[in-house]
Amino acid sequence: MSSAYEMLWAEKYRPKTLDEIVDQEEIVARLKKFVEEKNVPHMLFAGPPGTGKTTAALALAHDLYGENYRQYLLELNASDERGIDVIRTKVKEFARSRTPPNVPFKIVLLDEADNMTADAQQALRRLMELYSATTRFILIANFPSKIIEPIQSRCAYFRFKPLPKDKVVERLMYICKNEGVQCEKEALEEIYELSEGDMRKAINILQAAAALGKVTVDAVYKAIGYAHPAEIREVITKALNGNFMEASKHLRKLMLEYGLSGVDVIKSIHKEIMSNNLKIDDRLRVLIADYAGEVQFRMTEGADDEIQLQAFLAKLALLGPRFKSA
Amino acid sequence: MKKSIPWIIKYRPKRVEDVVNQEKAKELLIPWIKKWLSGNPPEKKGALLWGPPGVGKTSLVEAICNEYNLEKIELNASDFRRKKDIERIALVAATKRPLPPKKGRIVLLDEVDGLSPRGDEGAISAILELLEKARNPIIMTANDPWGQHLRPIRERVLMVEFKRIPKTKALPYLMKICESEGIYCEKQALAYIWEKNKGDLRACINDMQAIAEAYGKITLDLAKALVVERDRTLTPWEMLQHLFYAKYFWQAKKAVTSTDLDYDTLFLWIAENVPKQYGDDPEDLWRAMEALSRADVYYGRIKRRMNWSLLPYYFEMLGPGVALAKEKYHKRARWSYPEKITLLAKTKEQRRIREELATLLSLTQHVSKSYAKAEIIPLLKFIAQHNPQYFARLALGLRLTDEMIKFLAGKEYRTVIRIKEKLLKEMEEEAKIRAAREAKEYLERKALEVVEEEKVEKWEEKKEEKAEKVEKREKKERKREERRGGLTLLDFLNKKK
Ligand SMILES: Nc1ncnc2c1ncn2[C@@H]1O[C@H](COP(=O)(O)OP(=O)(O)OP(=O)(O)O)[C@@H](O)[C@H]1O
Ligand SMILES: Nc1ncnc2c1ncn2[C@@H]1O[C@H](COP(=O)(O)OP(=O)(O)OP(=O)(O)O)[C@@H](O)[C@H]1O
Ligand SMILES: [Mg+2]
Ligand SMILES: [Mg+2]
Repeated sequence: MSSAYEMLWAEKYRPKTLDEIVDQEEIVARLKKFVEEKNVPHMLFAGPPGTGKTTAALALAHDLYGENYRQYLLELNASDERGIDVIRTKVKEFARSRTPPNVPFKIVLLDEADNMTADAQQALRRLMELYSATTRFILIANFPSKIIEPIQSRCAYFRFKPLPKDKVVERLMYICKNEGVQCEKEALEEIYELSEGDMRKAINILQAAAALGKVTVDAVYKAIGYAHPAEIREVITKALNGNFMEASKHLRKLMLEYGLSGVDVIKSIHKEIMSNNLKIDDRLRVLIADYAGEVQFRMTEGADDEIQLQAFLAKLALLGPRFKSA
Repeated sequence: MKKSIPWIIKYRPKRVEDVVNQEKAKELLIPWIKKWLSGNPPEKKGALLWGPPGVGKTSLVEAICNEYNLEKIELNASDFRRKKDIERIALVAATKRPLPPKKGRIVLLDEVDGLSPRGDEGAISAILELLEKARNPIIMTANDPWGQHLRPIRERVLMVEFKRIPKTKALPYLMKICESEGIYCEKQALAYIWEKNKGDLRACINDMQAIAEAYGKITLDLAKALVVERDRTLTPWEMLQHLFYAKYFWQAKKAVTSTDLDYDTLFLWIAENVPKQYGDDPEDLWRAMEALSRADVYYGRIKRRMNWSLLPYYFEMLGPGVALAKEKYHKRARWSYPEKITLLAKTKEQRRIREELATLLSLTQHVSKSYAKAEIIPLLKFIAQHNPQYFARLALGLRLTDEMIKFLAGKEYRTVIRIKEKLLKEMEEEAKIRAAREAKEYLERKALEVVEEEKVEKWEEKKEEKAEKVEKREKKERKREERRGGLTLLDFLNKKK
């Protein structure tokens, strides 16, 4: 740790070139082929979080265009820049800008494309055709089924797998060595278990643990506290016990303090309810899942996320005690 | 009884002459509009139509649009707050030509008195700017235009007063509606309704429809039984009282439509007090929350698509939906002022910083803003709390501003800043030392080269003739002087940049 400047490790250790990417061998091989031929089709990268999708797209651009690849790559985060109008104008502008010296096209990277509305996707479909001579699209999605069929059919499809345990542990080990951080192997294995093949999550936990000193199993357990599932669980538990008031107070604190959006919260709630951490009747699970979906839908239509979540908690407060007594 | 469209919409005036009783207002407004249309815009770019509710302000604007074939661009009170909406409107208002066959445009800012005097200073100045730039008529409406915060607007616009509709004008008008609905109607009943509503034509029509839909006729007895005085606005506390103890649909709806709270605040008053009032019964509570959830969906659609015709449904979920959710009696709870309003004001700064931080992180870490908020910000907070030293270096690397550091580090803020400054100073020192060392090395190297050159020169000189020798030496001397003496450390550093 020599420089005074420190980075977030997930970014610091993001592979710059295709060669550095861990695992995902077939994908990397195919992408390298594209680089060799200087020809890239429209592509769809699908797979769970933190498995190298964004990384692969950036590395591909790097290998194609060299160090200054940034100017030939338009990176759009679909979940932030929702409207198709934004995408349309930006893509248009970009398509008109300077072309790279040796490659006949530029790349548009649409991260988290599964968060785009169906309408926006329909419009995108036109853009992909209109500009395909000079512009190739890489779409990235966690849930490829949310990408409409006509777009899927225009793309070469790449499925990223969760990273295997040995590779993740090895990578973490490498980072520790490079950073001069002491670590226990079991701690790194524990990190893997907690992050389920999501390398970014794994690296984040590692960095949090390293901030505490030596990376031990205890440090890892302390470190995962940085995220909030535990608090989400408390909200759910309170509501299921019929304590609506407490639950909704806690919810408000989460939203204001962490700045979580309603959709973030309902998704975490959903995850929590589907996990085994919560001991509830499966029939109740079904009811809750259905209502969580309804609430998420209403949030996209409504004005105030919090009221939608509160209505959800009121439902839990109604159902929870019933299933307990039955 | 089958559902029908509200009469106030069905019988909304189509032409200027259909608007009853507002001759004075028309006399002011119509010439003003005609000036615009003649291509010779009036001095005052805006008009403010003011007067009690339900007397034809919005209707007259719509009738004008209709009759003169103008496109209406409308923005409601709740939208004004969003600067970008105003800017969008401003843009449209600035471009002159409307889409054919429309001959012109009117910008309607409805219910400007709904702006909150405290929160929305930005909105007022945005409106003033809009007035400045406008190339189309800007028409505003308000019930109460005399608020202090509206003064700058009042000073710049044509003020047009609307009066309550007197009995002589109202009764024939209401009677005509009954006729075209084919409903039996007693004249005394209408007089009674008019009396109770004090010349608010909208309220009269609504009351008539309520009676007619329930009983198929309008008689004095029914009117006396059903029409309650809508005589004044309710305080929020009264509104809650009327709402939570309403027995009928109309009572509850009236409660929520009789306050002068803006829609957002009204919603919060109800949403925060429902759990207090119904908290002792999970079923009643759940039904009421469900009604609020539905109301919010309508409200979202209204705001997003500016579809104000959905407003009645919103009020019906918010009022009757909540009131009739109860199946048992609840005694009066301790209601309170909506906490969220205070909280939001308090956390406004915090939210702005969080937003900026999320934007920064999403750009540098290649993640979405929501991921940055949900994952990376908590990670940074954790590190700041447990290892300020290390966090200070992260802050440098991530180019966090001091306010971002404060946001993330909380009580460790001072420590982090101190360490950061120290690191920066150290780096500066280091850079200085390095630069000085490099400069020194450079000069030494140069000096050495000069010595070498001299040797060569001497050897050459010997071979040359004397006269030439002197001349040449002088020249060299001058050159050397320049090279050696002119080069200072400062020059060197400048050159490096
Ligand atoms: N295959 C990999 N090899 C090496 N590092 C990886 C790999 N996958 C992920 N990482 C690490 O995790 C970080 C995040 O990865 P990346 O942005 O590629 O994830 P992603 O698949 O795009 O995830 P998401 O779906 O959340 O966007 C990278 O910066 C890198 O440090
Ligand atoms: N002067 C009028 N002539 C004819 N109909 C009227 C008149 N005033 C009100 N109405 C009826 O009442 C309805 C509501 O009127 P309008 O929307 O114009 O009220 P407003 O003055 O804008 O009230 P607010 O201040 O509450 O917005 C109209 O649709 C129409 O049916
Ligand atoms: Mg990604
Ligand atoms: Mg109006």
